Formats: sequence, C-alpha cells, structure tokens
Amino acid sequence: MSAYGAPGPVIHDPMTLPSDDNVNAYTFCVELKGSQWFLQKGKMIAYYGSIDFNGIGHGRLDRLVRTSFHSPLHASDWVVAEGQGKMLLADRAFDVNSYDLENGNLTIRSGNLLAFQPTLALKQSIVPGFLTLIGTGKFVAASNGPVVFMEPPIRVDPQALVGWADCPSPCHHYDHGYMTGLMGGLRALTGVGGASGEEHQFEFVGAGTVLLQSTETLMADQATGAVPHEAGVPGGHGVSGHQGQHGQQPGVPRLPGQLGDLQRRFGL
Amino acid sequence: MGPVRAGLYPDTVPLVATFRLQGSKVLAVDMSGDAVKAKNGSMVAYDGQMAFKKMTGGGEGIRGMVTRRLTGEQMTVMEVKGHGTCWFADRASEINLVSLQGDKLYVESSNLLCTDGGLRTGTSFTGLRGASQGNGLFTTTVEGHGQAAIMSDGPAVVLRVSPQYPLSVDPGAYIAHQGNVRQSFQSGVTFRTVMGEGGGEAFQIRFEGDGLVYVQPSERNTIAGDV
Repeated sequence: MSAYGAPGPVIHDPMTLPSDDNVNAYTFCVELKGSQWFLQKGKMIAYYGSIDFNGIGHGRLDRLVRTSFHSPLHASDWVVAEGQGKMLLADRAFDVNSYDLENGNLTIRSGNLLAFQPTLALKQSIVPGFLTLIGTGKFVAASNGPVVFMEPPIRVDPQALVGWADCPSPCHHYDHGYMTGLMGGLRALTGVGGASGEEHQFEFVGAGTVLLQSTETLMADQATGAVPHEAGVPGGHGVSGHQGQHGQQPGVPRLPGQLGDLQRRFGL
Repeated sequence: MGPVRAGLYPDTVPLVATFRLQGSKVLAVDMSGDAVKAKNGSMVAYDGQMAFKKMTGGGEGIRGMVTRRLTGEQMTVMEVKGHGTCWFADRASEINLVSLQGDKLYVESSNLLCTDGGLRTGTSFTGLRGASQGNGLFTTTVEGHGQAAIMSDGPAVVLRVSPQYPLSVDPGAYIAHQGNVRQSFQSGVTFRTVMGEGGGEAFQIRFEGDGLVYVQPSERNTIAGDV
C-alpha cells in the first residue's frame, strides 16, 4: 500500500507494532494475550483487538486486587485491561519507558507510574507521594524528559527525582555551611545575595539505583491514598506530598529562595 | 475567488509545493510560484519572495464561510504564495506530514497547519464522535492530491485500519484519519460507571474499513476522560 506515500511517517499495524515495547519515545505498546495489565485511568490511547477495561471495583477482579494492590483507597484511579490484542499507552506527551523488575523493588513518584503487570504488587511507600512496586514483572513509567539511571552515593535535586530501586536510603540534605548564621538565613529566606536554589537535595546512600528525569518540571501527583491516622505514620495527618506540617501550609507552593523549613532554625 | 479556482482544477496545477520537516516541529515548504494554505500566523520565517493573504472563511468561498460560521468549525487561514522557502510552526506542536492521493483526510481544524494549494478543504458532520472529543459536531476535510501538515501534542502514531484489524481509539487522543474508514462510537458505560467504578475508558471510537488513523500520545480533556 504505497498509496499513502512513502516519505510520510512509519505506519503501524498490529503486525508491526512492538510487543511490550516503545513505539516511539512517547508511546508504549502492550500486547495482551488473555493476560492482564493495570493501568492508570485514561492513559490508553488506542488498541487493536478485543480488550476490556474494568474499574478495580469489578467483582471478578477482586482476587487480583487482593494479590497485587495494597493501597485500596487509591484503587479507583486504576483500571484493569484484559483481553487479546495490542494496546497503546501514552501520558500527556511525556517520555514513557518500561522497566523490568526481577524479584526486586522500586519506589516511584506516584504521578509517574503509568501501568504495571499484575505479577507486581503495588504498595504505598512510607515516603508520602511515592508508590513501591515489589516482585517480578514489567511496568511503564512516564517522565518529563528521558530517564537517567544513577548509582548511589548521590545527591539529587528534589524535582528531578523519579524513583529509586533496591534499597538506597533516601534522606534530605541541606548545605548548612553556606546557609548558617543570620546572613545565611536571610539569603535562604529572601533569595537575596545568592541563594542558588540548590541548597536542598535528596541524598541517596547504599546499594541500588536512582532514577532521575532530565528536567526539573514535576509531573502532577496522583493521589496515593490516605494512610491510617496513627502516630508514627509519616503523612498520617492526611498531608501528602512534602514533609509539610511545620511552617508551610500544605498545597502552598514554596517561594523561591525559601529553603525546606530551614529558616526556622535561624529564628526567622 | 482565486483559491476556489485553484481548488477546482487540482490536476491542472503543475507546480506543487514540496513539504519537508525540519526537526519535528518546523515545517519547511519550498515553493516556486505556487501557493499553500496555512493556519493564520503560523509563518515563522521565509526566504525569497512571499505574499501572505488572509483568506476569509478558510478560502472556501461564501458558502464555505457560512458553513464554517454555522458549524463552529472555524479556521483562519492565509494563502502563502511565492518563490522560495517558507517555514511554519505553531506553539512547538509536533508536525506530521500527510500525503493525499485523491483520498480524504478528516482532521480537526485546530490540528491543521498547512495544506497544498491544490487541496480542497471543507467541513463534514462527525456526530457523536466530535461531541465526545469536545470538539463540536463538525470536522474539517481535506481532499485531493498533494500534501498536508497536521499538528499533534507529541509525535503522532499512525495506525493502519484494515478489514481484519479494526481499531479503537480514545477520543481524546484521536487527531485525524484518512482513507475509506467507517467510524462508530463505542460506549462501555455500564451501571458501574454510574457507581463511580468505571474503567476510565468508557468511550472509544471504533474505526473499520481501510485507511490510516493518526493518534497523539496525549489526551485532550474530554467528558469521557473521567468516567
């Protein structure tokens, strides 16, 4: 069929579409052979064949939810696709990539996870706003720009962090040396006189991999579901996102030059 | 009524502008005395002698103008004519080239960047599909022999529809289709949707027949997006 012109773009049909691989940097193709995939609502853009999309609340899928879904309050944002055929996934023209886990674990920012095989278990991370995938299987994640893999020890910009695999320990890091004393506090608070905007980082140590996106534009968060109101549960006061109880109202964007909650330390 | 005349005799126009992509977000058109129709204000640079003329009502004459006004499928188009190269781009959208050999391209007017002067444009009724996309009930058609450039949010994936492989597309990701394709509206709305436990993919457009469908890796906000 050269009728549609040779110089044009590549034309795909079910035979030429890849199986469980990227079509281009922004589109991922999943092949279903009677199997199932979990995907975030509204990320399917097209499919060949006969595929059913069911909300997680669907009766027949209860067992599946029990085995691979452990954040029930979050479940309404997910859909189970099952059937025969090939399905294209994409997310707001962000880069998408697939990752294989082999008896491993990976923690990812909630907004970045697009789809995963039910052989993986999805759990809420202790770190608010993050989800953890455990087990063996494939998952698809979106990122703003291509993803870079780094080995700890490393310090990363909070906005560039997509997730981490295995068990590096994530913690906050502040450049105290630069930001101490009254003048440092003033700099941190106002940004006047040289706050670089990079005084706060996430630090990872230990064995594992850290995933970074190549821009500092965050993808919108997906609700990860509430955690029990219990002492000792981070974010247990219904606050998701940042560590956010002190100083800063949840949901209020951080002002430029305003560091973590560091200014409290200077009495400012 | 120059543009209308050009549209009436597509085969007698010997000069055909050549479209090429420079990167994925800029369209370069080489012209030698011939004309193209482009979205108003989408020219970013030109080289040589060019004349830009606004065409009221999409350059489809009085009747086309009235139709467009009535259907809400408005399109402000300019005619670019001259010798040299003209570059077009629009809000850093990805641009996809489509070549037409006598078949018809259906595209939303907002996604149409540029068409060869010899191509006829018009409007057509889309029914429920248009409504589900939030784009109105009408769409733009491009017909004839030549090239057209359409825009998408992220590079479009071109999917072939053949009799043995029908295709279902999310209304928010659909941008255009060409060829002899029937489309029908598929709804998976069940009582579960009403209960708020829907599959999130309640509406799809099903394409059957023989042709190509252009899908973008992003979804517009549609009423269907949340159910």
